[in-house]
Amino acid sequence: MKKILGVAAMSFALILGACSSDNADGKDADFPKKNIEFVAPATPGGGWDATARAIQKIMKEEKIVDQSMTVVNKPGGSGEVGWQYLSKKDAHSLAIDSSLLLTNNLLGQSDLTYEDFTPIATLTTEWISVAVPNDSPYEDATALMEQLKKDPGSVKIGIAPGLGNNDHLSFVKAAKTFGVDVTKLNFLVYESGGDVMTSLLGGHVDAATMAVSESQEQHIAKKFKIVAITSDERLDEIPDVPTWKEQGVDLVFPHWRGILGPPDMTEDQIKYWNDAIGKMVESDAWKELLENNGWEDFYKDSNETKKFLEEQKGMYTELIEESGLKK
Amino acid sequence: MGTDMQVVLDGFLTAIQPGNLFWIALGGFLGTVVGMLPGLGPATAIALLIPITFGMDPTSALILMAAIYYGAMYGGSRSSILLNTPGDGSAIAATFDGYPMAQKGQAGQALAMSAIASLIGGLIAVVGFIVLAKPLANFALKFGPAEYFLLMVFTLSAIVALAKGAMVKGFISMAIGLMISTVGIDLQTGVYRFTMGSPHLSEGIDFLVVIIGIYAVGEVLYNFLTINKPVGEKKSVGKKWITKEQWKRSKWPIIRNGPIGFVIGVLPGAGGAIASMLSYSFEKQISKHPEEFGEGAVEGLAAPESSNNAAAVGAFIPMLAMGIPGSGTTAVILGAIVMLGLKPGPLLFENNPDMVWTFINSMFVGNLFLVILNIALVGLLVKILDTPPRILYPLIMMLAFIGTYTLGYSTVDFIILIIFGFVGLFMKLLKFPVAPLILAVIVGSDMEQNFRMSLISHPDIIGIATASPITIALVIMTIISLGFPFLSAWLMDRKKGKTSEESM
Repeated sequence: MKKILGVAAMSFALILGACSSDNADGKDADFPKKNIEFVAPATPGGGWDATARAIQKIMKEEKIVDQSMTVVNKPGGSGEVGWQYLSKKDAHSLAIDSSLLLTNNLLGQSDLTYEDFTPIATLTTEWISVAVPNDSPYEDATALMEQLKKDPGSVKIGIAPGLGNNDHLSFVKAAKTFGVDVTKLNFLVYESGGDVMTSLLGGHVDAATMAVSESQEQHIAKKFKIVAITSDERLDEIPDVPTWKEQGVDLVFPHWRGILGPPDMTEDQIKYWNDAIGKMVESDAWKELLENNGWEDFYKDSNETKKFLEEQKGMYTELIEESGLKK
Repeated sequence: MGTDMQVVLDGFLTAIQPGNLFWIALGGFLGTVVGMLPGLGPATAIALLIPITFGMDPTSALILMAAIYYGAMYGGSRSSILLNTPGDGSAIAATFDGYPMAQKGQAGQALAMSAIASLIGGLIAVVGFIVLAKPLANFALKFGPAEYFLLMVFTLSAIVALAKGAMVKGFISMAIGLMISTVGIDLQTGVYRFTMGSPHLSEGIDFLVVIIGIYAVGEVLYNFLTINKPVGEKKSVGKKWITKEQWKRSKWPIIRNGPIGFVIGVLPGAGGAIASMLSYSFEKQISKHPEEFGEGAVEGLAAPESSNNAAAVGAFIPMLAMGIPGSGTTAVILGAIVMLGLKPGPLLFENNPDMVWTFINSMFVGNLFLVILNIALVGLLVKILDTPPRILYPLIMMLAFIGTYTLGYSTVDFIILIIFGFVGLFMKLLKFPVAPLILAVIVGSDMEQNFRMSLISHPDIIGIATASPITIALVIMTIISLGFPFLSAWLMDRKKGKTSEESM
């Protein structure tokens, strides 16, 4: 019973810790002057949480940030809950973000977009693959697209975890260049990348789109084959897989993750993070993390990120309109 | 697959190295504790441990995380038996007969039996793992949307059929559960349903909040109604070890249901809750005294306990053989070992055989450790029953709220928790079975999505039912499970009519 109480007391302390925050604005030069809160807009265990915790660990071990950093989990609404939370905080809070920040808004599921925040950095990217079963009638991506052009509903395409995400939209964009009627595509939406993989291995879908990090091991083991990837060059791990570009589709589609700050940060505060994160991405620990997860370095500082997000917003706006998702 | 015994043995020797033994013991102990606490499940515990495993040897990290997982299977049923409050979805079936046993003064025996059943179920599954990993992984792939949909229909029908004599109430309970499961974003269309503008609700209502609300909070509220009644004589906790008679009754149920749980555990997405519920209803249907089920029949506790632990072991097969997580917890573990630089996938067995076999053997050792730990804890745990209600119930409430918070990190869940506390109270007062509701919340959303996906592949419901030999078998099993209670009652009547003097 003592142990139970111990765990209980600990959890209670954690809750108290998570709830308390004050709203003092830090405009002085000695930023940061208190504990930094790092919001992972997801439950522990996922990619966002893992990224946040890895950054926390590296910042501490490499002594890049003097103040302590705490990771706070705010899952829900594809990031929406976490970003809502961040939008009301001061400069001592940061959050992980991804293209969902843009697409949630464009799909009408959120009022917030990147302009409501201070973009701090872009960190990593993954590339997206299209895969078919080994016994598929489609030899390559072109054959698959030709079939879709003839009959858009004839191919069952597995994706996860929702329409309007990168896996979905990158496929839509590729199909569009081939002249496929993308509003008639037949998507089966699974809950997770693992489910998509299972259904492709079991032949329950005819094609699937997922992150390269999820699909490459199966491709190497010849359990199914990847027919196209969204990177601009072939990848070292799967050198036999052609890019979309090589197959005549002008498509480079990153699945990026970055860091977002609350609105109204001062120049000094932004510079502080530019320096700190710039140092972090150079560390060996960071490089090892990228290597293990199959992520690619995609570092951009605050200014570059802002420009990048602008570009991305334009692209997503166009795509979502054409995919028939916006009603 | 022609497993080389030498690799298996080497793996065993690595698993019993002191360092790894330490991780097994630590994980098993932690798992038992978090399993006991409502809401604090193995997935949360492992997720919180991930930063600690950075820099650990990948094999040891995997051993530690797996030990937490199956440790929680042991722990989960402790609170089911003692407090009628399951710690996790897979421990719900343990409340059906475990709690009545405790009320009859057999708490000690129930705890011991559940540990023994878990051990045997776990060991059967480890042996199954060694012999059958690859073929079973391939079998699991045959499950497409139609198969999953019908598996879930079958599970629900088995649960509803349990409420013999009150089937209508069972159906109502299930229907409410299915309605709850429609809350949240609809995957196939991206439409938000019943979220009332709250982004937190877009991911649906977590079934664990429903479990904690209905069982833990509901139980406390129910007892609050009766708190002023004079307490009866002090409950005896009974012997700490099972009797020969109990062993005789449970022996075959345990052995039968290990393999059942194991196979269901291998199916990605099915898991311990479905396995243990199916085992329970299976045992009840084939039992010679089904009327004792729900009143403290020892085999009604032993069967699901064997099954859910076997399922926990089975869930590692798709993960290790194919790199596909078989359950929520294995998904978290998978993410963690990727961070450690391991590449789970179809080549893991070939590229890291020593690691895989060390891991499998650690499950063997871990199960032995856990049964010793849990039996040693029996004496301590039964003291919970002696705790005065005015201390025990506030404590349960506190744990319920903490557990709920760790699920979604949101106070919105507190409101949902309280609502379901009252739902649980009324269901108890009106004598509605709660298991159909809970199970419907657990499987409802998957069932619906799989149904709609299977409609893309097959023209209509007949097409779905006849999609493959598996679906046909599932349809037949569903019909039998719904019809069986009527059939057996009818047979019983006839038998009675013929040999009225001999029958009991």
